[in-house]
Amino acid sequence: MKALSFIAGRALQGLIVMVGVSLIVFFALFLTGDPAALMMPPEASRVEIEAFRHAMGFDDPIWVQYLRFVGGVLTGEFGRSLRFQRPAVDLLFERLPATALLAITALLWSSLLGFVLGTIAAVRQNGAIDFVIRVISLLGQAIPVFWLALLLIIVFSLNLRWLPSGGIGTAQQLVLPSLALGAYYFSAITRLVRASLIEVLGENYIRTARAKGISNFRIVVHHALRNALIPVITVQGMYFASLLGGALITEIIFAWPGIGRLAVDSIQTKDFPVVQAVVLFAAFTFVVMNFLVDVAYVFLNPRIRL
Amino acid sequence: MKHIRALFLAIAGLLTPLSPAAAQESEITIGRAVSTTAMDPGFLREAATIVDNIFDTLVMRDEDMKLVPALAESWKALDDTTWEFKLRKGVKFHNGEDFDAEAVKFTIDRIIDPAANAPTLSYIRTVIGVEVLDAQTVRIKTDGPDPLLPTRMSRYPTYIVPPKYVEEVGRDEFARKPVGTGPYEFVDFIPDQHVILKANPDYWRGAPSIGKVTWRAIPEGTARITALLTGEADFIESVPVDLAPLIEDSADADLVLVKNGGLTVYLGLVMTQAPLDDLKVRQALDAAIDRKGIVDNILRGMATPKGTQVGPADFGYLDIPPTPYDPARAKQLLKEAGHPDGFSIKMESTRRYMKDSEVAQAIAQQFGDIGVKVDQEVLDWSVYTQEVPRPGPIYMLGWGSTQTLDADAAVYAIMRSGEPYSTVDIPELDALLDESRKIVDPEARKKVLEEIQKLAAETVPLLTLYQEDALYAKARNVAFAGRPDARIPVYDIKLTR
Repeated sequence: MKALSFIAGRALQGLIVMVGVSLIVFFALFLTGDPAALMMPPEASRVEIEAFRHAMGFDDPIWVQYLRFVGGVLTGEFGRSLRFQRPAVDLLFERLPATALLAITALLWSSLLGFVLGTIAAVRQNGAIDFVIRVISLLGQAIPVFWLALLLIIVFSLNLRWLPSGGIGTAQQLVLPSLALGAYYFSAITRLVRASLIEVLGENYIRTARAKGISNFRIVVHHALRNALIPVITVQGMYFASLLGGALITEIIFAWPGIGRLAVDSIQTKDFPVVQAVVLFAAFTFVVMNFLVDVAYVFLNPRIRL
Repeated sequence: MKHIRALFLAIAGLLTPLSPAAAQESEITIGRAVSTTAMDPGFLREAATIVDNIFDTLVMRDEDMKLVPALAESWKALDDTTWEFKLRKGVKFHNGEDFDAEAVKFTIDRIIDPAANAPTLSYIRTVIGVEVLDAQTVRIKTDGPDPLLPTRMSRYPTYIVPPKYVEEVGRDEFARKPVGTGPYEFVDFIPDQHVILKANPDYWRGAPSIGKVTWRAIPEGTARITALLTGEADFIESVPVDLAPLIEDSADADLVLVKNGGLTVYLGLVMTQAPLDDLKVRQALDAAIDRKGIVDNILRGMATPKGTQVGPADFGYLDIPPTPYDPARAKQLLKEAGHPDGFSIKMESTRRYMKDSEVAQAIAQQFGDIGVKVDQEVLDWSVYTQEVPRPGPIYMLGWGSTQTLDADAAVYAIMRSGEPYSTVDIPELDALLDESRKIVDPEARKKVLEEIQKLAAETVPLLTLYQEDALYAKARNVAFAGRPDARIPVYDIKLTR
């Protein structure tokens, strides 16, 4: 029962967050200026701009526009893209597979490699291997993604001609963007696994296991890693949610047709309905992932059961 | 099982070597900086680059930018407000529909219909109706004398669309699967990925030599150039000035530089405010700018300093030399205007034109040299265009006439008082601008357009800086020189060995 009310409480919190986000998304965009003037060509006269404004409903009071917006969101209708002349939701879901593919690939390699390297570093704490791994993971977090992405293109596309510079369709085209996108998460996970494992390896029950004469490998894999995983899973849930919201810079540089690129293009052209749909979707993914991680906690770690 | 096989296929895909994009000679891949969103020419909100290859207008511009017959075989003005067009016979749309007078009427009616809110309406706002005389003859009526009507019939809002198809599939579907009479037929469109076109074998000017065109959107400059140098693309547009040396140094690709193919960048002045209401102050600022220095050092010579907003290829162009750089004279003028110690003023610029921030900074310094302290602000384009006209009092803007190649487009909207983008207020200039729009006779009109430019040079309503070149890049085997009107007609591109 306690677990159930905990879950219900978290769900309610998520709902409140979504209402807050919808308010921010709506008002922040409309406070920035006049969409009608921007959507029309420079040669358009004032009369033509006004006619367009009226046709799009931009001249209604802002609270009327907000209510229309919320009503639309609840019925799954985010309005039509001003640029594409199509429902914003369609545009979003059209690009979701591309973003998901990139996010999953980036998360997979960064988790696997981060996990392995983090474990090695922890077991060999303060050794030479640990030092190398720490330097690599520090670099991965310190290098900005736009710089890394361009560097990858220049090295692997332009100079070595091993991989295409962008686009989607073949497995080769997935390599560079997922490398660029995953670098930060790889570093973060490596460092997290290392720190968390070092902490667990100092616990009493590990010392007890050692005293019982269990092999070092068995101690690390069976006893320590399981407990060291909990913070890692939390972080991964959050990373995946943020990746699904679109990798803005990576998608732009590698001409990847995902949600991030849609968001950037839409912001630049003041395509309100699309921007709202993307931001709400990203927030929703975040809230859901957060909720799932909380629920997973209840089962993974009995101490959290209230 | 199926999934496992798919996985294996994907892995096998990893192992196959890269195949060059242009494996066949009759294919071309063109990399663009922007994504295509829709291809309905009447409701376009973006550059018509792709649409240009699918549709035809009644009148078109040849490689020398002369207006020549296209879907219309001839045209003439019957009186001040009526133009008659004789249409080409036997032309069919890609879906087999016949091109005729009804198609012309349909095309124009759907844009001038007030309920349609067409974003392109302003381009043909003088048109009040189309009258069909017979299948091969239409009369277009204007609300007053409109000397530019044939030019208007050469631009994308008037690309002729197939009435039956548009009505059958609706506007949204038409924007995704366009059908025209042009040299290329639509094949496939995936937003943010590509648009694919194939040659129309029955094209009325003869079948195109390149069989298939793939347009790819590659927003990032380095990635776009890399795609060209690695053979993933054969032609790219919008080469960043900074990255041009990458192509110049390459053995696989050439830079295509279209002189005066870009926008004319100027500093707008809010003339109603002191001290910019004073002619001497405006002249002082004008003389304080080292245009040649800016073009040579910052823009690497990829622009031309100018003394008029009108482009050399435009009808009505008057060759006015750029104001000479003369800080001593500028200081003297400021003194005469009663500002011996200069003044402080705000200057706004954005990120949209070639190295615009660096240019704005250089100008701020040059203004500083004559004692005018500039408070500089750089805003993102999406923010910059929210307020029109910019409050300035000094603001940078680029304006173009490459779409019409007529002086009218270069001056009217930014110099006539009361126009959305104009901050100019000179009654004599207004009178001349209004007059220019009422004359149909080309010679008389040319004279007025030249008068406008002379008066602008004397009264300095804004500070014309330079006209940008258009920068493209192409693989060695692509033959295309670029066009002053910024179009990329694949029909005119040839592939050599």
